[in-house]
This record gives sequence, C-alpha cells and structure tokens, in this order.
Amino acid sequence: MITTTRRTALSMFAATALGLVAGAALTPAAQAADAIKIGILSLTSHSPSIIAEGKGYFDEQDLDVEFVSFQAAQPMAVAIASGDIDFGMTAISGGLISLAEKGAVRIIGGALQETPEIEGQKILVSKAAHDAGVTSPDKLAGRSFGVTTQGSSFHYMAHKIADKAGFDRSELKITPMQKVPAVIAALKSGQIDAWSIVPNIAGALTKGPEVVEIGKISDYIDNYQVTTVFTSTRNVTDNRELVTRFLAGLSKGIDDYNAAFVDKTMGADDVAAITGMVHQYVYADQPIDKAGPRIAAGAMRINSGARLNVASVEDQLKWFQSEKLAPEGVTMEDLVDTSFVEAY
Amino acid sequence: MELILDRVSHSYGNVEVLNDISLSVGSGEIVCIVGPSGCGKSTLLRILGGLEKPDSGAALIAGDPPADSLNPLTYVFQDFALLPWRTVEGNVSLVLEDHAIPKDRARAIIADVLARTKLSEFAGAWPRQLSGGMKQRVAIARALSVNPAVMLMDEPLSALDSQTRDLLMDDLVDLWGQVGFSACYITHNLAEAVRLGHRIVMLSRRPGRIREIVDIDIPLNERINHPAETTAIQRRLWEAMRDEARAADRELSDVA
Amino acid sequence: MSLDAADLEQPRRATADLQQNRHVAAVKPVPFRGGGFVHTRHRFVALFLFVVLVILWEIGSQTGFISNIALPAPSEAAGAMADLFETGMIWKHLSASLYRLVIGWSVGSLIGVTVGLAVALFSIVRAGVSPFVSALFPIPKIALLPLFIIWFGIGEGSKVATILFGVFFPTVIATYGGVDNVDRNLIRMGQSFGLSWLSIVRKIIIPGALPAILSGFRISASIAIILLVAAEMIGAEFGIGAYILMAGALFATDQLIAGVAMLSVLGLTVGWLISRAERWLLRWRA
Ligand SMILES: Nc1ncnc2c1ncn2[C@@H]1O[C@H](COP(=O)(O)OP(=O)(O)OP(=O)(O)O)[C@@H](O)[C@H]1O
Ligand SMILES: [Mg+2]
Repeated sequence: MITTTRRTALSMFAATALGLVAGAALTPAAQAADAIKIGILSLTSHSPSIIAEGKGYFDEQDLDVEFVSFQAAQPMAVAIASGDIDFGMTAISGGLISLAEKGAVRIIGGALQETPEIEGQKILVSKAAHDAGVTSPDKLAGRSFGVTTQGSSFHYMAHKIADKAGFDRSELKITPMQKVPAVIAALKSGQIDAWSIVPNIAGALTKGPEVVEIGKISDYIDNYQVTTVFTSTRNVTDNRELVTRFLAGLSKGIDDYNAAFVDKTMGADDVAAITGMVHQYVYADQPIDKAGPRIAAGAMRINSGARLNVASVEDQLKWFQSEKLAPEGVTMEDLVDTSFVEAY
Repeated sequence: MELILDRVSHSYGNVEVLNDISLSVGSGEIVCIVGPSGCGKSTLLRILGGLEKPDSGAALIAGDPPADSLNPLTYVFQDFALLPWRTVEGNVSLVLEDHAIPKDRARAIIADVLARTKLSEFAGAWPRQLSGGMKQRVAIARALSVNPAVMLMDEPLSALDSQTRDLLMDDLVDLWGQVGFSACYITHNLAEAVRLGHRIVMLSRRPGRIREIVDIDIPLNERINHPAETTAIQRRLWEAMRDEARAADRELSDVA
Repeated sequence: MSLDAADLEQPRRATADLQQNRHVAAVKPVPFRGGGFVHTRHRFVALFLFVVLVILWEIGSQTGFISNIALPAPSEAAGAMADLFETGMIWKHLSASLYRLVIGWSVGSLIGVTVGLAVALFSIVRAGVSPFVSALFPIPKIALLPLFIIWFGIGEGSKVATILFGVFFPTVIATYGGVDNVDRNLIRMGQSFGLSWLSIVRKIIIPGALPAILSGFRISASIAIILLVAAEMIGAEFGIGAYILMAGALFATDQLIAGVAMLSVLGLTVGWLISRAERWLLRWRA
C-alpha cells in the first residue's frame, strides 16, 4: 500500500517533469478487456467496487479491474491526477477541488449520502467536555473540534454545525490531527473536545466511557453528499464510453451493497458471500466472524446509480471558497461532470 | 628554597623509566638535565612539579618558598600551552585570576612581566599572530607573573628555529640577570645546556640513571666570551652521551 | 658593496650565456602545474544561478513544459507569498513557529550543553548516560510524537518537546566530543598553575570545546527547522509547518512552495546568525 503511494508520487513527478501527463495511454484495445485501476480505502463505503468485481459486474462491462489500496483520500486524488489510477471515491476535500481547478480530476457521480431514514454521521464529544456542559452541538462554541487536516470534510462539518447552531465559525477551534486514529486518541484522552464521524466508528467509540454522542450531522447539513466518485479529466473527455461502463458496473455493486448492508433485503447467504468479498480489503487483518459484523455495522446509504446531489456539492464548494480553502475561480463545471449520472 | 629529588624510581607498567635519581635545584640556580630521547626527562620533571607520583622516592621542598610566590613550582612547556582564545595579556592574567589579587595590582604585574619579556607592545595580540619565539616569551612571562620559586622548563626552546633559540637564550640570560630565578631546565641540546646551566645533569638511556654531573663556574652572562671552555665542556658531554644516544636510538627502533 | 655586485653579476652572466646558447637548445618557461584545487570566493554565483533557475522554471511553467500539477509557476508561489503578507497571516505563522523554534532550540541546547559537559567531565555520568544518548539519538522524534502528545498535550507542549528532543541529542554529542578534543596540554597547564577545577572548566575546557559546540548548534538548528513541520502536524492552527501541511492537504502547490521557501529563508537566517556568532565568539581563530 505504501509503495503504491510512493511510486505514485515518483511517477507523477517523472511524468509531469517530462510534460507527458497528457500523453499517457489508455486507448481501448481492439479485443482485450480494458484494464482499469480503482483506488480504494479500507472502509466499508468502498465496498461497491469490490462487490462489482467479485460478482463479475465489471467483467460484464468488459473491464479488467485492479484495486490499488490507499491510506488516505488525498494521495488517491493525486494518483488520479497523475494517471496512476483511473477511478476513486472519497469525500470532497480542498485537495480534490484544487486538482479539479488544475484540470486534472472531475467528479462524475455521488456515493455516500446522508438520508433521514438511515443512521448517518454522529457528533461526538469527550467525556470531559460533556461533563463541562457540552451536551448538545449548539454548546460547542469556544470548544476544540478535531479534524484530520484543514479543508477536510470534518472541517466542513464543523463549520456547518456552527452556522446552523448560530455561533461564529471562528468560535470552534479547528484542531488538525492528520490522521483518523490520532483524532480518536485525542478525543478519548480529552485533548480535543469534539469530532464528527461515520456511524460505525462513532458506535465503537460511544461504547466506551470516554466519548459521548451529542447529535447527528443530518440535523445540521441537508442531504449531505458525503463522498463522490471521481476520475481524471482525461477519462471524462477522451474515454466517455469507458467511464459509462465503469459506472454501470459500479451501480450494480451499489445496489447489492445497499440491499445487503443498508436496506437488509438480501438473503443471509448472499450477504455472507458479499461480506466475504469485502473482507478481502476491509478489516482484512481480523477473522471473518469478527470482521463481518463490523463491515455491516452502521453502513450508510450509497446513492443508487451513483446519483449525485449537486446542491450539496455546490454548498461544499462554496464553503471551501468562503474559507479560502479552494481557489476562488473554480466553478461547478470545473469540478463536476453531470452528464454520466442522474443529478438532483 | 631548594627543590630536591630523593632516590626517585618510576616505571610505566613494566617499562622502568627512572632509576634511583637524586638531585637538587638550589635557589637562583639553573640545573639543566640532558639525556637521550625517551630516557625519562619529562617524567622526572612531572614528578618534580607534583603532576605525577613516583613509584618510590620522593620530590621534596626544603625551606619555604618566598611569601609572594603564587605558584612556587611553575612549568614552561615545550608547546607553549597558550590559550588561543586569550590575548597575550589574557594568557598572563589567566594564572593570576584565581588568586584574588586586586585588579590594579594584577595589571601592574602583567605590565611588568610583559616588559621583562619585551612583549609590552603585543599585549593585545592573539597567540595565532605571534611567532614561535614570541609565544614562548609569553609562556615565560606567564610563568614569571606568579613569581615562581622554581621554573620547571621542559625543552622550552626545542620547537623553535635555531636563530630564535639563540635570541631567546640571550633573553633568558638577561632575565636571570634581573630576576635570578631558579629552574630545572630540560633539553637535549647540549649547546643550550652549556649556555644556561649552572649545573648539567646527564641521564643515561632508559631506565634513566644519573650518568654524570658537570658544574660550570663561568657566570651565565660571560659564557659567550669563553667559547673555548664552553665548547670543551660541550664536547666532553657529547662524548659521554653519544654511545647512550646511539644505543637509545637502536633500542627505540627495536621496540618499534 | 663590491661583494654584492659580484654576487649579482654571477647569475646575470649565466642568463646571458643561456641566451647565447639558444640555438643549441630552445629556452622555455617551466610549465606551471600548480593551478586549481584552491577555493576562490565567488560572491554572486549562487544568486545568479538561483535567478537563472527561477527564470527557466517560470518559462517552463508558462509554456506548459512543466505541468502545473507537478510544480506551480514561481510567480504563483510568489502570489501565495504576497497573499500571506497582504492578509498579515505571515506574522501569525512566523510568530507561532518562531516561538516553538526559539523555546525548543534554546532549552534543548541549554540542557544538551549541560548534559554534554557532565558526560565529558564525570566518568560516572559518561558511563551511565552516553549509552542512552547513543541509543536515543537515532530514534526519529516523529515516531515519538504520539507519546509526546500523551505526555505534553496537543498544545504547545508537544510541539516544543519534539524540537527540544531533536536538538538535545546532537548537542550532547557535539559538546562532549568537543570537550574530549580539548588539548590535554592546556588542561595540564591549568593544573600546573594551580587553577581551580571550576576555572579550568570555565576558562579552558568550555572555550576549547566552543568551536565544536557551535558547529553542533548549526546542525541542531537545521534539525529544529526540519522537525518544525513534524511538530506542527498535531493540533497546530498557525505555524509555517501547519501552513505547509495544510497546503499539502489542499493540494495548493503554490502555497506549498511559498511555505517551503519560508523554511529555506528561516534556515538561511539561522545559518547567518550562527555564522555571526561564530565569527564573534571564535574571533581568536584565523
Ligand atoms: N603516561 C605514560 N604512560 C606510559 N608510558 C609513558 C608515559 N609517559 C612516558 N612514558 C614512557 O616513558 C618513557 C620516558 O618518557 P619521557 O617522556 O619521560 O622521556 P623523555 O626523556 O622526556 O623523552 P623525549 O626526549 O622524547 O622528550 C618513554 O619510553 C615513554 O614512552
Ligand atoms: Mg620529553
């Protein structure tokens, strides 16, 4: 995994230094299936591609898939820009927007979505903060809020909480911790006061005495499009047909994911089979009987057909720009190509 | 005050360096010690000044040092041992600073010793700016400043070229004329010994024993006018020393 | 006088002879072979090279030869820098970082020099401490960051501590190495004049070790700047390191280069200050 990212950086430098970034080839071969590389993180929300590959949905589309694992979303976006991988799925971040502005990547669909009927992201505080009276999100003024980096989705959520709760954004002390495990450690030890996170991690945390849940993100952000599907601008302009085939395969994977983990309408055997596929990449270091429940726990809905909530994306872009975390000149057209999926 | 070495023997491990040496340095007397390389001259001097303990025998002081002597047994080193980060003046003042001397008195002492060693105009110079001969004069000035009862000089001139050495010998003779210091002066240059020593003690090769003692009666400042006598003494010493030196030289190369 | 003249005439005649005999064997100068391998000062070469590189880089960026994903144009980086000045953020970032650097470096150096002296002067301390120093020095302080956060909190404590620890070990090693290399003859001289232990340490050992300690400072100051980015990874709102990390996360390469340039300028400034200190403290050297 690590070698992948390092190679990514190296080859990116080499390729761009030679000015070849636009020249790399992905021309469809006459007979052989098209080879594509998909970047994934070891999170349940990345299951749809894994399921689509496992169930042969990508084969149906004549796509030969290779998964490339990443530790964080940021290098995945850079790897798409450099042409090392073709498709990825992460939260909208300042980095992603910046790469879109540079004409390297485009959002082509929506993925994880906050919906009223399904449990979504939680707002958490440390025990100490809770004891000190922070029992609801509108009492977060003057408190520290953990984020991985500035311009991450956590930063966005923090400010949206402030906006809705009616206090100034600057009254939240945004505290960058670089990595999710570091945020968790800081929250547990009371070094930071608050954080927001997807339900399966939140659930594990609030089981212990150190962390208390005080609210839901869906109360503060309407129809939050948490993650999106994106690819390189080159694919969007020169390989539209390949993108369409990828999204078709992915959509079938999304349907299976929702049926298995979100709506729970799938038979137990099928769920077990799907869990087995996902387990190869998610919680792979734990035995299946331990990993299985964790994979299923707190799964959030992924938009069927990779539908994209453009309003939410626009709100996020505006926020990044208002905080000067994204270049002012970026437009929705730079960031999103809505021609592949249903946009709403 | 008299400095006495009483039947001193010393070894390093199983190398015997000094064997049963007795000698004394009287007040106002310069005793030169000569001997082949590696015979233990420096060791002897370290024992004399209390920097090293002999295996047997003892270094003794007879009588009291002058009351105003700050450091009765004072060394002058072959390599000058000046602090490069102190000026000429600073190097002299270094050895006065621990003695709670009033500032103006210290300044007077420094001015005095620098004048005696003809260094007054170089008081503010760094050691790196000085020639070898000047550096050794600074070291001598520093030694004089503590008003020593005996100066222990280990080949003080051997790092200098021969002209400088001659000049400095003249200076030392002058100085002795003014101050009348006593010294134990180590050298392996016989001309130096004959020029400066009231008494010359010759050691044998290692283990160093006293091979010969020569007293020279000619006053120091007149020796330059008695070339015949001094040359004769020097030749006699050389005759005695040659075999020892040759043997020592061979011995060293055997060891190596 | 006449003797001098005679002496001078001799070589002159010899030269004349040579010139007369030229037809026998041509006279030519001995070929000069002593050139090169000497450092001459060229003041503006580095500056010139830097300017040329930046111009080439700008041209490369403008023509698209250098992709703006790979590297922002220098003018963009300069723009990011100008923004920092315009908004006044530069002073917030600089003061936050300088605070951490100054406290971390000076406390680390102070403790480092003290421990280094103790290690060098007392054999019992050397026996006890120097294996620890050797064992702990190579540990990347970044690896200890999670522990520092537990011990010192995510506030200034862990940031200063990261720099402090990074500075401490090389200072200890430079100090006791410096003391070990002090000319033994000078110490013996001090003893022979009956100087007190404290005087010998203060007036002979410390000044003798000072050149080594100062070159240790040069290294430890660079280490402190390197560690600044690591130190500001955790919980830093302001600071040059935090700014660089944020630029990286936002893939704002112009800000990234601006931040890195700030670190370089900081490094150059610190290097210059230490050179000044060296020139003054070691003015006794050539
Ligand atoms: N600290 C020491 N430990 C072991 N051996 C020593 C030590 N100091 C001197 N020696 C040895 O003792 C012998 C006498 O040494 P010393 O320096 O006293 O001779 P020296 O007569 O001064 O020689 P030179 O004419 O070369 O100055 C030498 O063989 C030397 O190697
Ligand atoms: Mg010797």
